[in-house]
Amino acid sequence: MAMRAFFAVVTLMTVSLIVFTLMEFVPADCAERYVAFKSTTGQNITEADIQAERVRLGLDRPFLERWATWMKNVFVHGDFGESCILRQSINDLLKDKFWISLGLSLAALFVAYAIAIPVGIYAASSTSAFFNNSLRFVSYLGLAIPNFLLALIVLLIWSYLFDNLLVGIFSNEYRDAPWSWDKFVDFLSRAWLPIFLLGWSDTAFALQTVRALMLDEIGKLYVTAAAARGITGSKLLWRYPARHAMGPVINSLGFDLNRIFNELPVIALILVLTEAGALLIDALARSNDQQLAGAIIFLLTAAIVFTNFITDLALALIDPRVRRGLLG
Amino acid sequence: MAKAETVGSKEAYFTASQGQLIWTRFKRNRSAVIALWVLIFLVLAGYFASFFSPYDPTIAGRDKDYLNGAPQIPMFCDKNGCSWRPFLHGVEMKLDMATLRRNPVVNEDQRLYVEFFVRDWEYAFFDFNLDLPGDSFDIRFPGITSTIHLFGLDGGKIHLFGTDGEGKDVFSRTLHAIWTTMAVGTLGVLIAFVLALIIGGIAGYFGGWIDSVLQMITDAIRTVPPIPLFMALAAFTPPEWSSETRFFVISIILGFIGWPTLARRIRTHLLAERSQEYVLAAQLCGASSGHIIRRHLLPSFTSYIIVDLMISFPYMVRSETALSFIGLGLKDPVNSLGALMYAVTDTDVLRNFQWEAIPVLFVIALVLAFVFVGDGLRDAADPYSGTKK
Repeated sequence: MAMRAFFAVVTLMTVSLIVFTLMEFVPADCAERYVAFKSTTGQNITEADIQAERVRLGLDRPFLERWATWMKNVFVHGDFGESCILRQSINDLLKDKFWISLGLSLAALFVAYAIAIPVGIYAASSTSAFFNNSLRFVSYLGLAIPNFLLALIVLLIWSYLFDNLLVGIFSNEYRDAPWSWDKFVDFLSRAWLPIFLLGWSDTAFALQTVRALMLDEIGKLYVTAAAARGITGSKLLWRYPARHAMGPVINSLGFDLNRIFNELPVIALILVLTEAGALLIDALARSNDQQLAGAIIFLLTAAIVFTNFITDLALALIDPRVRRGLLG
Repeated sequence: MAKAETVGSKEAYFTASQGQLIWTRFKRNRSAVIALWVLIFLVLAGYFASFFSPYDPTIAGRDKDYLNGAPQIPMFCDKNGCSWRPFLHGVEMKLDMATLRRNPVVNEDQRLYVEFFVRDWEYAFFDFNLDLPGDSFDIRFPGITSTIHLFGLDGGKIHLFGTDGEGKDVFSRTLHAIWTTMAVGTLGVLIAFVLALIIGGIAGYFGGWIDSVLQMITDAIRTVPPIPLFMALAAFTPPEWSSETRFFVISIILGFIGWPTLARRIRTHLLAERSQEYVLAAQLCGASSGHIIRRHLLPSFTSYIIVDLMISFPYMVRSETALSFIGLGLKDPVNSLGALMYAVTDTDVLRNFQWEAIPVLFVIALVLAFVFVGDGLRDAADPYSGTKK
């Protein structure tokens, strides 16, 4: 198990190196960007200012050393440093927003599987051609209709029906209020749309996966044996093949989260959300803030790595074969 | 007689090449065949876009008298009787004093006939231009130029899908966009494929610690959500880059999104195949590694690779549209499906000029066609698909 944790940390470090290197390729560094930004506010800037800023930020030191410092700050102190342009602590900028994003994504993941598992299992055992074909059709639509399009359609219909736009993650009176029960309720009353949109294509994928896995398992001899012992109906499905089919499903949760994170910025853009996805777009499209963008991508990846770690643990708890493989 | 026929077909079955077998199985899958036709149709429409589209899709072909104009469907009959030639009514823009918008007013007594094979703006087939940074990389190949277009309108302009806010013909733009999106996708798939083949190939053929290290790197890359990461890369591309350069960069980005999954599959397949007996037999006969890879291993999974490429295509199209949609991919002067869909984000467009969303239907059709063909090919390439339930 310690091995798994070690691998997770190594993966995170590799990822941080990749992200860090890519951010390094970005033309113009943090100092130039900040100073350029300052010059737009009317201050006079010289080459010496840029150099001074560079020294202050430690950009004059070698690449690997900076990476190590960054890693140390992140892993030991949980500190992502300052944003390039906003000159605010990234931790303060992200705090709530990251948790909201994560909450939305996890909720979407939950909804996707809450639909996909029962429907997929039922579909695998059902012989109704109509049901299976319509399911296939829905899955294909889930793949083919990009969810930003779906978001637009929902918004359009909503604006026709109710004459207000269903955008933003909080209503106006709660936007800057501290967290309270009322704010939470308000949040929930608006969060269903992003959750649905984020989960939409993932539900389609999950349906296909669950169905295929169940089809594989249902044909196996132990199911026939169980049926021969007189177990029938949903009891047969849930006790035998479903338990086997769940292994790969749990294993793939990390990648499902990955897929949902892919949709996050796009949905955030359409629904005018103010969470990490939106902040990422903001950091990218408007201000070219590599420090902030890097931190967000790292956090998203860390969430995935962590999910993978948890699912590994969960799998070991559920499946004795995996447990033996891990321990022995 | 009947017996001879079955013997004949049996013989044909046993002597058929792998490609023929796959094709026979593929033809049995009706939805896949339909999807293939749709795909061929879309590709042809995309490639010969200039021939099929009556107007230049760029700002040069704008119809400044018909901004945000509704689609015009040619008709055969109106209140003045019928005609064999399809026609449109004349349209004039008049200022509506109530809304202060210039609205088209249809003159039902004026008939403008649709003509075929009209001469209009010049375009080229089979041409090839590359304008990469640095002059030495520029490649020019003029191709065949022509001015003939499939259809046009005598004494007016025809906009089958309407026009956008600048008066550009949505029909022409859509056709050109299909080709751009496909080209970006193809290039992306190719890049992903080459990377996957090299990395997955090395990992799979050599195994051991090389495999472990490569797997770890691949897994690490696979955990990074690609769209946010490549949004970052796309965002930091200098705005002064030419649209061609942008196009290539986006393709490369898409390629980098796609490779880890492909690499993993190639590796898994190679690992399974290299311990097969036919490989051992070849080794015992003294065949070199290169010969084994070329003559035995590669043919053993070409069908897998084709299927994988086909399946990864819709993701490329989706990623392109998503990137362009957030405004970080291809931008307006380039006609890509994503760039066209960007226009639909405007609430004014959504509420009043819905025809500008027509390209969306093509995105869905394109992705669905690829998915169905890919699925059909996967089933057809699997020799056990018929025996399994």
